[in-house]
Amino acid sequence: MASPIKSLKAKAFLPMLKARQARFEAAPAALPAGSDQARVIARALHPHRQYLKVAAVTERAADCKSFTLVPDPARGTEALAWFSAGKYLTVFETIAGMPVTRAYSLSSAPRDALNGQYELTIKRVDGGLMSQYILEHWAVGTEVEVSAPSGNFDYQPLRDAGDVICLAGGSGITPFLSMAHAIADGDEDFSMTLLYGSRNAESILFREELDTIAAKTDKVRVVHVLSDPDAAAALPGAEQGFLTAALIQKYAPADAPYSVFLCGPQQMYAFVDKELETLQLPKKYIRHEMFGEFHNPASQDDYPSDVPATVQITVTIQDETTTVTGSSADSVMQILEKNGIAVPSRCRSGECGFCHSHLLSGEVYVPRQLEYRRLADKQFGCIHPCCSFPLTDLVLNVPPAK
Amino acid sequence: MKEYDVIVIGAGNGGLAAAATCAKAGLSTLLLERHNIPGGSASSFVRGRFEFEPSLHELSGIGTPEEPGSVEEFFNRLGAKVDWCKDSSTFRLVVPAKEGDKDAFVNENGVLVTVDARMPVGFEAFSRKLDDLVPGSYESAMKAFRLSERMYKAFDCLGDADGIAGVLKALPYMPDFMRMTSHTLKEGLDALGMPKKAQDIFATYWCYMGSPASRFDFLYYMAMLHGYIKNGTGIPRLRSHEMSLSIDKVIRDNGGDIWYNSEVTKVIMENGKPAGVVVNGNKEVRGKRFICNASPNFVWSDLFAEADIPQKQLKMTNVRPVAATLTTVYLGMNKTKEELGIKDYSVFVAPCSDSDEQFALCQDYFSGYCIINCLNEIIPDCTPAGTSQLFLTSMTFGDVMKDIQPQDYKKFKTKVAKDMIETCEKALNLTIQPYIEEIEIALPPTFSRYLNTPLGTPYGYMLDMWDSMIPRTLQFMQDQPFDNFLFCGASQERGDGYGCAYHTGEKAANLTIQALKEGQ
Repeated sequence: MASPIKSLKAKAFLPMLKARQARFEAAPAALPAGSDQARVIARALHPHRQYLKVAAVTERAADCKSFTLVPDPARGTEALAWFSAGKYLTVFETIAGMPVTRAYSLSSAPRDALNGQYELTIKRVDGGLMSQYILEHWAVGTEVEVSAPSGNFDYQPLRDAGDVICLAGGSGITPFLSMAHAIADGDEDFSMTLLYGSRNAESILFREELDTIAAKTDKVRVVHVLSDPDAAAALPGAEQGFLTAALIQKYAPADAPYSVFLCGPQQMYAFVDKELETLQLPKKYIRHEMFGEFHNPASQDDYPSDVPATVQITVTIQDETTTVTGSSADSVMQILEKNGIAVPSRCRSGECGFCHSHLLSGEVYVPRQLEYRRLADKQFGCIHPCCSFPLTDLVLNVPPAK
Repeated sequence: MKEYDVIVIGAGNGGLAAAATCAKAGLSTLLLERHNIPGGSASSFVRGRFEFEPSLHELSGIGTPEEPGSVEEFFNRLGAKVDWCKDSSTFRLVVPAKEGDKDAFVNENGVLVTVDARMPVGFEAFSRKLDDLVPGSYESAMKAFRLSERMYKAFDCLGDADGIAGVLKALPYMPDFMRMTSHTLKEGLDALGMPKKAQDIFATYWCYMGSPASRFDFLYYMAMLHGYIKNGTGIPRLRSHEMSLSIDKVIRDNGGDIWYNSEVTKVIMENGKPAGVVVNGNKEVRGKRFICNASPNFVWSDLFAEADIPQKQLKMTNVRPVAATLTTVYLGMNKTKEELGIKDYSVFVAPCSDSDEQFALCQDYFSGYCIINCLNEIIPDCTPAGTSQLFLTSMTFGDVMKDIQPQDYKKFKTKVAKDMIETCEKALNLTIQPYIEEIEIALPPTFSRYLNTPLGTPYGYMLDMWDSMIPRTLQFMQDQPFDNFLFCGASQERGDGYGCAYHTGEKAANLTIQALKEGQ
């Protein structure tokens, strides 16, 4: 009996070849117009760079200013990228010939981006090169270069609880202010209880703005937590002390799951993380904004001894190789920047992987809490220079900071 | 200025394979990639305490020690080391019942379904299982597999033997070869007398290539299915990033250069042919020959002056429909797979069993079509103790984002993800939502951002009957734009898939190596 496949005609094959070429031949020979919407969205949300200008400066405190940034069409930015509240911008500057970058959370409402406005709020950091530079140099009209909105510190309804206790310290208020705006504008849907730690009533940032939002929506509640002795007595509704477990419990829903979001200085994380341990919340309900740049690796208990104070780094970027010298107390990224070499960077906390580079020889120390590399990266000698500290001389391959 | 023997544009799977093959052959090779890591789809990303696999379901090209698969052999040829984890399952297809379905039954999950097919590895075992599910389908399934065995022999003869001897050895297989490639999967299975319901189960993998049974050629479908069923499949232990970095290492170890964050922004033409590229808008590099892993649509619109583009390339771009686009939801779970009640690596949840009906429903979101994978089934310790990771995939066709504005995108993608999660929860009687510790959602704009393809497709052009694998392969050279510029990757003859992309990259490299030899 013939195989049943023989009922199909083999000779149907040859005409297929001709027909295919004929189909090509008959098609129009012009470039298709326009972009598909997937590409439009991708480019709108993730522009390579945004070229902006300072349109206004608002003094928030003696050492803190807000900068209103608008697009600079002359340098190619027509509109601002939309963002979801909690995202940051990386600011690119050159200070005394040294390329420097820092990540700052957007403090403005996402809606404002549609009207061509971002706001960054910058507080002076002790010994902080960038914050000092910005506070001294940025004025109306200053040209500014920033990244696309980045980061993972935004609300996700499929992951986070409907009630969120937001713990802010100092200028760590910025992403929460943006979230509060987004809730009031209907762009986010969750109930926010903001426990905002400041030293005293005078050092609170955005007090009026926060009050205005809280008055507009019952989904935002603001509680000031003041640490100076007796400071809370001067402010009705304020709590005295620090962001403790007891305080979180006081304001958290008693019978429903809640998320805790944290943003503040590294010392605040160290304190609050211990407090949170006592609450035994599932990990999914605790979210930190990034750690920030890491300093003083030698203070870590797993940091090796006998590390030379000075190291040599030979770095190849595309087809250019340079050898520089730096301090082993600095990250690989800092050493390169101090030698005038720009490195791709975004978060500077190990997390985003934007600076992903190949370590060809030598050894580095990576603080445990900043270890976000992929498994295969460790196997194949790839590092994140922003949180890698040289232990020996290094040979590196780094992508250009395009 | 240095002139490279070959410049490879794009470090996706095809570009990596091309650059590694060229570098290993001693050519001076430059691989240019716009992102900061290699692989395109073959990568990974970290969220919290989870490292997610972005795209790989499984590699059909991982065989057994006695019979290594094509992907394994490719890595062996390069000397690239990867720790493969074997998967000895294939797929489970679950079709929840609709009201009024007469043949509905309650499955092991307590869900009313019309199909629940958990298919084993091995032609015999697969066909027996199919016969259990749809009596009378054993013979037709075995016939289909025997045909695919014969087709592999034909490929071997054509590929291995020198010249005409190989062609002569392949001759006895040619009539069936021509029958299968000129008829659809549906026509083929009809001819073999396979019952309709068995055909539906048999065609489950149609989505891996994005063409349903009435538009997918019988030959290529059988070649693909053969790869999955014969010896099972595998995945790399450290996600696809391990595969990509292992090839990156081969390129470097063999003297090749790789520049990341280095986007080709223009191709320099001389005497009607590419002679170099501009990188990041500011750096010129010259090359003798080029292999391009980037999507042809955007290569033409973004890198060339219109006058320099061969007319045929524009015509091809205009007439070939873009293949499937994907949406993926990555879930880091704070429960183990046992606690969640997951028993399979790969479950295809479909609103109906017929692939053409599925295809019709996938013209937009909320189709009820979703594949759910659990990596811990193959790599139990791929997440910390007490956790697991899930990976949900759905498929769409066309510009499904057309009504979405950037500011509405987050809400929309959350809605799509919720629908996909609920589809899986219902179909498998699972509880997923309360245990999500990390989530990332990738829609076509995500793929567009990372792959830079039209509509964000990872799949290239639709493998339709008129533009199917064998005609694409036979006409490969006449479809290339310049004699020193070859394409590779998902846009080429084999469509999407890691193994397919590696193959096209290696092939373009071998043609390039040969051309340079002949030129000397």
